[in-house]
Amino acid sequence: MNSDEPFFTVEEIRGLMDVATNIRNMSVIAHVDHGKSTLTDSLVQRAGIISAAKAGEARFTDTRQDEQDRGITIKSTAISLYATLPDEDVKDIKQITKGNNFLVNLIDSPGHVDFSSEVTAALRVTDGALVVVDCVSGVCVQTETVLRQAIGERIKPVVIINKVDRALLELQVTKEDLYQTFARTVESVNVIIATYFDASLGDVQVYPYQGTVAFGSGLHGWAFTVRQFAGRYAKKFGVDKMKMMERLWGDNFFNPKTKKWTKTESYEGKNLERAFNQFILDPIFRIFAAIMNFKKEETTTLLEKLEIVLKGDEKDLEGKALLKVVMRKFLPAADALLEMIVMHLPSPVTAQKYRAETLYEGPVDDECGVGIRDCDPKGPLMLYVSKMVPTSDKGRFYAFGRVFSGTARSGLKVRIQGPNYVPGKKDDLFIKAIQRTILMMGRFIEPIEDVPAGNILGLVGVDQFLLKSGTLTTSETAHNMKVMKFSVSPVVQVAVEVKNANDLPKLVEGLKRLSKSDPCVLTFISESGEHIVAGAGELHLEICLKDLEEDHAGIPLKISPPVVSYRETVGAKSSMTALSKSPNKHNRLYVTAEPLDEEVSTAIESGKISPRDDFKARARILADEFGWDVTDARKIWCFGPDGNGANLLIDQTKAVQYLNEIKDSVVSGFQWATREGPVAEEPMRSIRFNILDVTLHADAIHRGGGQIIPTARRVLYASTLLADPGLLEPVYLVEIQVPEQAMGGIYGVLTRRRGHVFEEAQRPGTPLFNIKAYLPVNESFGFTADLRSNTGGQAFPQSVFDHWQILPGGSVLDATTKPGQIVNGLRQRKGLKDAVPDYTNYYDKL
Amino acid sequence: MLYFIGLGLADERDITVAGLEIVRRAERVYLESYTSLLLVPQTTLETFYNRPIILADRELVESASTTILADAATTDIAFLVVGDPFGATTHTDLLLRAREQNIPTRTIHNASIMNAIGACGLQLYNFGQTVSMVFFTDNWRPESWYEKVKQNADIGLHTLVLLDIKVKEQDWDAIARGAKGAKQYKPPRFMTVAECASQMVEVAERRKKEEGEETCYDGDSLAVGVARLGSKEQKIVAGRLSELVDVDMGKPLHSLVLMGKRVHELEIDFVREFAVDKESFDESVKKGGYGTTA
Repeated sequence: MNSDEPFFTVEEIRGLMDVATNIRNMSVIAHVDHGKSTLTDSLVQRAGIISAAKAGEARFTDTRQDEQDRGITIKSTAISLYATLPDEDVKDIKQITKGNNFLVNLIDSPGHVDFSSEVTAALRVTDGALVVVDCVSGVCVQTETVLRQAIGERIKPVVIINKVDRALLELQVTKEDLYQTFARTVESVNVIIATYFDASLGDVQVYPYQGTVAFGSGLHGWAFTVRQFAGRYAKKFGVDKMKMMERLWGDNFFNPKTKKWTKTESYEGKNLERAFNQFILDPIFRIFAAIMNFKKEETTTLLEKLEIVLKGDEKDLEGKALLKVVMRKFLPAADALLEMIVMHLPSPVTAQKYRAETLYEGPVDDECGVGIRDCDPKGPLMLYVSKMVPTSDKGRFYAFGRVFSGTARSGLKVRIQGPNYVPGKKDDLFIKAIQRTILMMGRFIEPIEDVPAGNILGLVGVDQFLLKSGTLTTSETAHNMKVMKFSVSPVVQVAVEVKNANDLPKLVEGLKRLSKSDPCVLTFISESGEHIVAGAGELHLEICLKDLEEDHAGIPLKISPPVVSYRETVGAKSSMTALSKSPNKHNRLYVTAEPLDEEVSTAIESGKISPRDDFKARARILADEFGWDVTDARKIWCFGPDGNGANLLIDQTKAVQYLNEIKDSVVSGFQWATREGPVAEEPMRSIRFNILDVTLHADAIHRGGGQIIPTARRVLYASTLLADPGLLEPVYLVEIQVPEQAMGGIYGVLTRRRGHVFEEAQRPGTPLFNIKAYLPVNESFGFTADLRSNTGGQAFPQSVFDHWQILPGGSVLDATTKPGQIVNGLRQRKGLKDAVPDYTNYYDKL
Repeated sequence: MLYFIGLGLADERDITVAGLEIVRRAERVYLESYTSLLLVPQTTLETFYNRPIILADRELVESASTTILADAATTDIAFLVVGDPFGATTHTDLLLRAREQNIPTRTIHNASIMNAIGACGLQLYNFGQTVSMVFFTDNWRPESWYEKVKQNADIGLHTLVLLDIKVKEQDWDAIARGAKGAKQYKPPRFMTVAECASQMVEVAERRKKEEGEETCYDGDSLAVGVARLGSKEQKIVAGRLSELVDVDMGKPLHSLVLMGKRVHELEIDFVREFAVDKESFDESVKKGGYGTTA
């Protein structure tokens, strides 16, 4: 590849878009601070398709001021790269390609767990992922989270083990130590990949000897793959490159005496050097040693041997600065990464074949399913909008997404289908023309006439019709593209108020915009009229509120201390069947509530069991894996709240006439009740409601929504209150990295906050300990600061929502217990009557 | 004593003498205002009765009946119902609750659509089960009435179809979806003969198309539409359902009768006078096999 930056006109980029086999859509994912954005920079500087000046300065994909200031990525950003591979590489690619030119669309996404929803949105529009792992800290909690998400979306991973310079400079490890560190890291990544194995995706474990793992330093701009070195040595040894690759990793040794390869590490009592160490690490170690120890002569000899030529003033450099220049010339990061990406990540044509069934809700063999599967630019348009990006025009958004089938173009009339759209109905459906299709790269926006299947794009004028995400299509029979499942939930919330009463309309408008701009944030008005903003964690909320105050609303705000959102559940089966009569007393509903198994609830929340599944297939899974009665499993009326939550309504009635005519009303009542439970109007979770019997008025006019909806809600309330109601509180999984001597402080802080450690492991080769603990979200406010002050600033926690747990300490109905007091607090905040209403308020006697 | 008093069909003067006497002397008088309505405003009633009356909407009757029943054991309370108090099943609940509290009750009957429909020329003896037609919504299109129509048609009987009225209905779907704030009411709506005919045709066509069913009626079946029955502006129109889809019957209230096949010649002669198009009516009678006794 030419080292001059390639600049492309929109027409040239458009030309590349037509060759879908030569496109790679990929995300860069990692734990926070493992060096994604720096690594991305080195790619962009080398292969960016538009000039750096046009798109921003360093930390190129961190387009926001606060991202640059904090040094973390908050929003995911797309950037396009251009790569040309030599023929010898292209012939080794195991999927169909045309020619040597490739278009790589790269999305840099945030590593902090609070922003995982951005990662989810990024994964949806890509087919491959570059997983960045810090070679010193190893695989961390967020590495696992994003890998799991990636595999769930059928995204193929490749890995770069980053920050190798730190291991060399700070830890002064030996070659064999470094090899072992690499091997362990690759092993831990593969353990995760194997755990979430998906047969349709095949084995996607990564192996250095296959070229799916790279090693390097984003900061210093160098990286290599075993394949690259194999290429160099294959000629020298006169063996096949593939064979050489296998020899350069694992227990393979070259015996200089016999000139033979062997699998045993000793010969005549002497240890042999591992091939990886001898042929790959050795030159690198020698460069480091020579330059960092200021051995000028040795350096010059080495450079000559490696054919590295220094230009003009580069010759005057020394120490780290020289090291950077030399390594960059020796092993340019962009070359290694682009080779790995282009060769091993799938093109849309390859990927959509096996992704179609997980992307599309409809039958895979209808015209849209086929269009997606074949990545057909002439098929019906199927475009998924994964997120909204604010424009410079206040209050307006670009819709960001990917064309999976057909071709999107300005002026095309499309059906805009929101997440609640059901084929054949008119809810959540708009038919409008796309105002403009655009290219989005970092901060750079350029109009483009049309965009064919397999490409990522931006749309103007769609934002008014979609809340956060949705499907655009030209086919009247199209089902939706599957809704994204987020791994984080908005469990921390604050109430916001305007300081100046006149600003209220601006706040309302600002909240709308905030909700649109972030895939995960929730904004709503509470029963007591407060404006609530709910986010994944303290940091997420902090960023959202800052955006709200400074940008979306642009007014000074008063913000309440953060509070946790709870879930209402039941601990037992209703002690008797609940009965409620409709207002006209002609219709009666009989219902019991009981706990839903945690495994089922988790499966619903992870999308494994979903309301959109075929009911027979779903019943099979429930029966086989969760021990359900098949008849019950087939008679799930609905999920709730919002049609997809972890509460189920089961029809257990026998031969009730006209039952299907009241189904919709009962379902509405169920959605209502599960959204606001009887205890404190918090959403319900993990409850199964059984409709045992129904008596109805003979005439439809007397059993309309007005009669049935409120009755359904009442009977669900009564059955809940009769079933040992309880509160669930959210719990974080906290991962803390800390040096041994500061560990004592962690235990103290955790215990005070009702947390407990469940895993403690030393990172091999380092004095660092990895501690994993559970911590109730309610006790997590100020946790980071508390931890720092108790460990002399040496402990760094990462908290991610993990599960719900029953709030311990007694019944929620007893105001003297801790749960009772929390319920009272919730009720007061919402302006509800003090005590939880007795079940008789909702129960009617026969 | 709780009196259920029928007001008849049209205006303030349709009340019976017995009813009027009770209304004039009762402690409180409620006017039930949601299952049906008179063609005159409440003030006209008050002027004629020479006393104030309380409007009882659905919420008051269904959810706050204790207010209505207060003191009824010792004083006289009148509950006015348009038509006949037991023309429909709606008020049995109030009667039951009164009985539970040992409140004595009495009913003063009056004319109802259930008997006055004879005015259209079809004989009351030949009617089968009565059904109600509700406003179809996007996701609620109940068809359970069809089975009853079919049972009637199978033995050649007419079906009286009562039409939906929506007065001060809360928007429950919006509330269930999370609409907050003051109670939201939908604007009042009254189903017209045309709307009813069109919904009936829709259901028959759906059943034919989707379930391959031999339906008991179709767009060519004969029906009679009536509007404001019993008043001076009473209007009656007969014709095929497909013709009634386009007919404008004017102000509320409307009802419809689907003619049974076992219709007497006299009935046919009577109804023919109301036909939209007499020729097509005669043709339908012949083709449809009306009057040939099942």
